[in-house]
Amino acid sequence: MSSHTRLALTAIAIILGVAFVSGTYVFTDTIKGQFDSLFTDIYQGVDVAIAAEGTGVGSADVPFDESVLDIVTAVDGVEIATGGVTGFATIITTDDAGDPKIVQNGGAPTLGFAWSDVSRLSPLSIKDGNGRGPTTSSEVAIDVGTAAAQGFKLGDVVKIQATGEAEDFTIVGLMSFGDQDSLLGATLSAFEMTEAQRIFGLEGQFNSIGVAAISGVSAADLARDINEALPAGIIAITGQSQQAADLSEVNDSLGIINIALLSFAAVAVFVGSFIIQNTFRIIVTQRTRELAMLRAIGATGRQVIVMVVVEALIVALFASALGVVVGIGLAGAIRSAMNAAGLAVPPGSLVVLSRTVFVGMATGVIVTMLAALLPAYRASKVSPVAAMRGETRVRKTTMRKRAITGVSISALGLVFLMTGLFGSVGNAIANVGGGALIMFIGVSVLAPLAARPIANVIGAPLPKIFGITGTLAKENTKRAPRRTASTASALMIGIALVTFVAIFAATIKASIAETVDEAFPSDFTIQSSQLGEDPNIPMTFSRDLVGQVDALDEVAVAGAFQFGEALINDEKGFITAVDPAKAESLLTIEPAPGALDSLTANTIIVSEKLLKARNWTVGESVTITTPLVEDVPFTVTGTFARTEFGDYLISTEVFTQQYEPTGDGFVAVKLAPGVSLEEGRVAILEVTDNYPTTELQDKSELVADAEKQIDGALALFQGLLGLAIFIAVIGIVNTLALSIIERTREIGLVRAVGMSRRKVRKMIRWESVIVSLFGATLGIGMGLFFGWAVARALEDEGLGKFAVPFGQLMAYVVIAFFAGLIAAVWPAFKAARLNVLEAIAYE
Amino acid sequence: MQPTTTQGPSAARIIDGVKIYGEGNTEVRALDGVSAEFEVGKFTAIMGPSGSGKSTLLHALAGLDTIDAGEVFIGDTELGSLKDKALTELRRESVGFVFQAYNLIPTLSARENILLPLSIAGREADKAWFDNVIEAVGLLDRLSHRPTELSGGQQQRVAAARALVSQPEIIFADEPSGNLDSTSGAELLSFMRKAVRDFGQTIVMVTHDPSAAAYADRVIFLDDGKVVASMDDPTTDGIFEAMKDLGN
Ligand SMILES: Nc1ncnc2c1ncn2[C@@H]1O[C@H](COP(=O)(O)OP(=O)(O)OP(=O)(O)O)[C@@H](O)[C@H]1O
Ligand SMILES: [Mg+2]
Repeated sequence: MSSHTRLALTAIAIILGVAFVSGTYVFTDTIKGQFDSLFTDIYQGVDVAIAAEGTGVGSADVPFDESVLDIVTAVDGVEIATGGVTGFATIITTDDAGDPKIVQNGGAPTLGFAWSDVSRLSPLSIKDGNGRGPTTSSEVAIDVGTAAAQGFKLGDVVKIQATGEAEDFTIVGLMSFGDQDSLLGATLSAFEMTEAQRIFGLEGQFNSIGVAAISGVSAADLARDINEALPAGIIAITGQSQQAADLSEVNDSLGIINIALLSFAAVAVFVGSFIIQNTFRIIVTQRTRELAMLRAIGATGRQVIVMVVVEALIVALFASALGVVVGIGLAGAIRSAMNAAGLAVPPGSLVVLSRTVFVGMATGVIVTMLAALLPAYRASKVSPVAAMRGETRVRKTTMRKRAITGVSISALGLVFLMTGLFGSVGNAIANVGGGALIMFIGVSVLAPLAARPIANVIGAPLPKIFGITGTLAKENTKRAPRRTASTASALMIGIALVTFVAIFAATIKASIAETVDEAFPSDFTIQSSQLGEDPNIPMTFSRDLVGQVDALDEVAVAGAFQFGEALINDEKGFITAVDPAKAESLLTIEPAPGALDSLTANTIIVSEKLLKARNWTVGESVTITTPLVEDVPFTVTGTFARTEFGDYLISTEVFTQQYEPTGDGFVAVKLAPGVSLEEGRVAILEVTDNYPTTELQDKSELVADAEKQIDGALALFQGLLGLAIFIAVIGIVNTLALSIIERTREIGLVRAVGMSRRKVRKMIRWESVIVSLFGATLGIGMGLFFGWAVARALEDEGLGKFAVPFGQLMAYVVIAFFAGLIAAVWPAFKAARLNVLEAIAYE
Repeated sequence: MQPTTTQGPSAARIIDGVKIYGEGNTEVRALDGVSAEFEVGKFTAIMGPSGSGKSTLLHALAGLDTIDAGEVFIGDTELGSLKDKALTELRRESVGFVFQAYNLIPTLSARENILLPLSIAGREADKAWFDNVIEAVGLLDRLSHRPTELSGGQQQRVAAARALVSQPEIIFADEPSGNLDSTSGAELLSFMRKAVRDFGQTIVMVTHDPSAAAYADRVIFLDDGKVVASMDDPTTDGIFEAMKDLGN
């Protein structure tokens, strides 16, 4: 094994960290770029866009009367103006069993529009040979992408559901969106204008108006003129401003993805830095004699540092550059994966900004330099004589110093962590993350102290099972506790994080099961099976449904609930609307006596917790702003204890006035006495089958559904954290390989006195397993602690049941075990191949 | 001078051994048709100038290295036909080593180092024999020490004890006293002679030092990869004489 191999192994650690950082940037920049061109498509011909004045709440455009179009058209300078209508429209097919099935790509929305022939003002167009736009109420045009995926042809009849029941439409056109066959995987349907208004519940209304100016008229001037003509509450802005506003909204949500991915990148870099540091330390140690010789012939300590650091710098530059390249590839891979998952991310070149290259390079170089500095400093401190004599012993005082340093750092991390969790100073997430990071460093400083005792325990059975091979494996891990510990620390971080995530998920699941059980005295819930744009607000379905279910003999009571976003005293909040008469038999809200009955016009009841937090009292007057009304005074007339359904309750009747909902969002059903769950289900399905976008669930299904979502998120997190474990495994390979170089003579000797190649391999393998199990032990310990602390901190947020998934934790131990075995494959092979003679040759 | 043939059965034998390093201009014939036999229960020393092929010969005899032509036997086993696995087994069962460098495993105690070949083979040590060996090398109070806690002479005696304790058919030692002061060296050499005289051990030792070679029953002289002389029951002076003759 040459120095090339050592450097290559170091480089891999750097490359992986840098690749993750730069890949994240490339990916989000690319998506951003695609949205940019998307909005350019949408607003290409729109000089002025008109919409009802937003209140800053709710994501849907507030509709306004269609007569506004005439006002706009009459303004001087307007070449042409068209009204726009949008809503959710879902295509429904049948599955193999003949049951209705909704057409949806992953989480992409199902969008419906009014068709406009003014191609200048619409991103939707129909290419020659793809039919025409819809002109009658029974016609529809859908996007080319969806048609191709579903095998729809012109002339086919499809069922489409908007706010009412599903209806039949004939496909007369296949639309393109800008140049693309589809819009990021969304399904698009366009209807004739009046029909669109009808199915979206917007008779006589538009959501927006697009205006094209006569050539020579500036968009800004025109917007000003139109604004003068418009009635209050409706405003015109230039297409460009609208585009910028839309784009900044996308950037906001991409920002979250960016932060999430960069956090994983930080973990990767952090784990990688352990390996880099470890590698440099071993390399420097191996060269101690050489460096000492240099010192002996007159090199200064500073010259030694410079030598090591320059070497690190060269490696860092090469590896970081390679890391950026790998990162670009990684971004491409993520995009392909998303495409495979049904999200049509349009092809196009990946966006590589100079910022990406700079940050990637800087990360790699800085981390490597920091990691190399400590070993270099140590090397410069070695007295020439001591180094020439051979190994320097670990002195007791450094052990004491290490213990003190390690405990101090860990304590500091703990303070940050606890402040983040239970205190209210600074940014909670930053405190928790930073605290965890510092604790990792603290524990890894302490780890060498634990390496010998823990390796003793973990390795205890080995001598008995494998005899001398086992003894040697065990002793090898104990001989350099610092190396064993820092190798294990890399794995510790990965395992600690997956353990934490697993505990967190298990705790949420256990708590959800409990919550659902307590929160619903009802037997069934009916919700939309579709995903809307805002995950906080459920998609709605026809208001007829609840009455039909309530009328069933098997049903005692069925009630609908609505949800809406609002500003309450100018603070954002979610309002839940209940039928005061039915609420208590369907939901557990534990109202104060008389609170529900007090829900009439312009009264609101709030959770006790919120009342306390806001320092309100019953009788308080608050103002509420919804998409439709502004600053309406409400009186707080009561409180309730449980917050599963939000902090604000108003009556359905009042809600209807504030929001004009086009459908219901949620229905709870309680069966009549003596009706079994199965009988009830059969009866209700008779009704809900007519509404394919709805989903009927009993409590256990509701829990299972939630658990499935958590499992999905868990899998995603663990997949990403798997990268950290992968890097850690490379670290083990690295350390083992380097320690084999160091032990060449020893391995030669055991071979000379008769140890077979197989046993040499076995020795290295078990050595590796001990190291990884040591890492797993530390990691699971820390993960348990983090999980417990976070669960305690969120106890009041509904995470009452702290749960430890023992099976899963066992699985991590097994994974660590195999990671150790796998990491040892190559080093063990190398060790077994060592030429006995070369190994024992006396230099 | 021609090598004299020995009377007793041979523990190890090399016939017309050739070992070539490098190619063309850089070709070195480390062994150039060497033949030698090592009698059971005898202490043989190998001497010769630096680069004459002593270590190469020892490695070939011990099954640590292969030769390019000729035959090598340990007992009745011809080594050329053996694969790595069988060679390893042979070394484990029949051969012991003492090298010039200390060659102990630093993580193991003196006792564990001594028992290493037996542990690898999964065999138990003969208790009486073990005590015997330990007493002979004078390590009784040092058994639980790690190599770094032993002096150079003690370390070398641990290596010798390791070679003896498994009672191999033959022990090879490459300049075992080379790194020791004269007292420690003398201790080690008398111990080796004792092992041969009292326990019937066969030992082959490479050395540069005529006074070390004088401990042996027989000396063979190597030059340019060939045996050029041999001497039975050598004395230090006799060896000096022979070396002077060869030098001419
Ligand atoms: N691995 C090798 N590659 C090339 N040449 C080698 C190798 N090993 C030994 N030689 C050469 O073979 C010859 C014999 O070497 P050997 O080590 O057997 O000598 P030696 O008699 O043991 O010498 P010394 O007394 O110095 O230990 C020398 O010329 C040496 O240079
Ligand atoms: Mg030699």
